Amino acid sequence: MAASGSGGSRADNGYGSQQPRRRKGPGALATAYLVIYNVVMTAGWLVIAVGLVRAYLAKGSYHSLYYSIEKPLKFFQTGALLEILHCAFGIVPSSVVLTAFQVMSRVFLTWAVTHSVKEVQTEDSVLLFVVAWTITEIIRYSFYTFSLLNHLPYLIKWARYTLFIVLYPMGVSGELLTIYAALPFVRQSGLYSISLPNKYNFSFDYYTFLILVMISYIPIFPQLYFHMLHQRRKVLSHTEEHKKSE
Amino acid sequence: MGQYRQPIISTCHFVSYQVEILDWKTKKQLCFLDKVEPNATIREIRLMFHKLYPRWYPARQSIKLDPKGKSLRDEEILQHLPVGTTATLYFKDLGPQIGWTTVFLIEYTGPLFIYFLFYFRMPFVYGLDERFTSSPHPVVNLACICHSFHYIKRLIETVFVHRFSHGTMPLRNIVKNCLYYWGFAAWLAYYINHPLYTPPSYGKKQINSAVIMFLLCEAGNFSIHVALSDLRRNGSKIRKIPYPTKNPFTWLFFFVSCPNYTYEVGTWISFTIMTQCVPVGLFTLLCFIQMTIWAKDKHCTYLREFKDYPSLRMPIIPFLL
Ligand SMILES: NC(=O)c1ccc[n+]([C@@H]2O[C@H](COP(=O)([O-])OP(=O)(O)OC[C@H]3O[C@@H](n4cnc5c(N)ncnc54)[C@H](OP(=O)(O)O)[C@@H]3O)[C@@H](O)[C@H]2O)c1
Repeated sequence: MAASGSGGSRADNGYGSQQPRRRKGPGALATAYLVIYNVVMTAGWLVIAVGLVRAYLAKGSYHSLYYSIEKPLKFFQTGALLEILHCAFGIVPSSVVLTAFQVMSRVFLTWAVTHSVKEVQTEDSVLLFVVAWTITEIIRYSFYTFSLLNHLPYLIKWARYTLFIVLYPMGVSGELLTIYAALPFVRQSGLYSISLPNKYNFSFDYYTFLILVMISYIPIFPQLYFHMLHQRRKVLSHTEEHKKSE
Repeated sequence: MGQYRQPIISTCHFVSYQVEILDWKTKKQLCFLDKVEPNATIREIRLMFHKLYPRWYPARQSIKLDPKGKSLRDEEILQHLPVGTTATLYFKDLGPQIGWTTVFLIEYTGPLFIYFLFYFRMPFVYGLDERFTSSPHPVVNLACICHSFHYIKRLIETVFVHRFSHGTMPLRNIVKNCLYYWGFAAWLAYYINHPLYTPPSYGKKQINSAVIMFLLCEAGNFSIHVALSDLRRNGSKIRKIPYPTKNPFTWLFFFVSCPNYTYEVGTWISFTIMTQCVPVGLFTLLCFIQMTIWAKDKHCTYLREFKDYPSLRMPIIPFLL
């Protein structure tokens, strides 16, 4: 549920990763659509990045920068839901379940935590994950764009498989601290909680749910992180050999 | 080497076979069996292999012709396999095994007893204060009877009705299955037996019709299991095409390949209606998805194996799915 793809943890789903494509790639129409989608998403996250920098320069402080980028953040993070459809329709050859899990966990953090619990919006931890996500996503979406066009600059590839080493832990810390900060307010307000008795005989405690989400980071985070490191070794060393042999 | 020597036990004039068994992954040779009877079965080869490797008892072994292919069945005979007189077979360790019947007994006893923990409102479940404030609604008693009936029926069927073709299954599957069955049983039981339980909106009418539907589906499910078991009365382990019998409950075989799953889904839908409980509904949905996947699988196998398979049949829901 939890560990989002903060550090660009979707290494394995790259359309246009260096391995030869097993199935035939997406058709011309799908490729055109994907290029547009990825260009728009790259631009969107660039807007967020610029918004952050401008607000910081204007204010001279990094507190509460969330409000300056709230709208584009919500819009473009929600737009990532389309990635699940891309996998479902098979125009992107990665696992629907894995992609859904990663996108949903971020959408969850955006809407069900940060948007819903107003009190945490001023926390610095929000900025922590927003910055991590922003850098990750700019690189990731441009990586996809360039790959689709078959002109992937080495720098972008290197960045995609390197920056996560810092960005991923950074994003995860921001996410965890934000959920933690939300806990007392959720308990106080009974947000999204359903209690017995009701005629559906069902109850739900959002407070407990959030704690479970935090616990779920423990097994998931190291797994994704090491998976990324492994991926990094495979992809980057592969290219270096490639270069030498050329 | 041995081929100039007179075959010792061979009653016919065939040359004996040589069998080498390699690890399916590393391709390392694990054993080399010289002079194997041409009509030796895979079962016998498994036993010879077991003698050399005591920890890999026959049920743990998967023996294949192709490292990535299907496992060979016990009854298959060496000389009928597409191999020369030197056969190369691949071995894969399936991990520790546990008997099929044992698995089902463990899987089904859990829910039965876990449900009781909640039904009798063990003090550690709902806390003490709530325990005495309300006596359970009649439908709660009824639900407990139905739930217990369902699992007792499954236990009885496991022991007395089913004739499974597989002897064993990997031990690690049981952990997964138990988590699934036991966890859900606890979750459902928690809500149905909760002191703050709200009885169904349409009262007696809703409860009674649900019970009738529940019993019909249980009867149907049982009839199908008996019909399937009857296909193997002669002790064979192969799968045949099941057909409707004189028992009207089995007439669902006219329309679907796995009517036992259809009935099983029916029992859970009835149970959902009876208890009017969202978690039960979610469990029903999960069961339905799971059984649909299995039913489709089985349906495809039937179509592949039998050219004359009745074309009207669908996997699980008549005319639809
Ligand atoms: N609530 C749930 O989620 C859930 C899930 C699964 C099952 N169940 C219950 O458990 C019951 C048994 O499940 P299952 O998956 O084992 O059902 P199944 O695959 O239909 O098998 C039932 C029995 O009949 C045998 N059989 C099946 N097809 C046969 C054929 N064509 N010819 C001869 N024998 C045949 C099977 O032997 P082999 O398969 O060993 O060959 C097995 O012994 C279900 O009917 C259902 O009531 C519930």
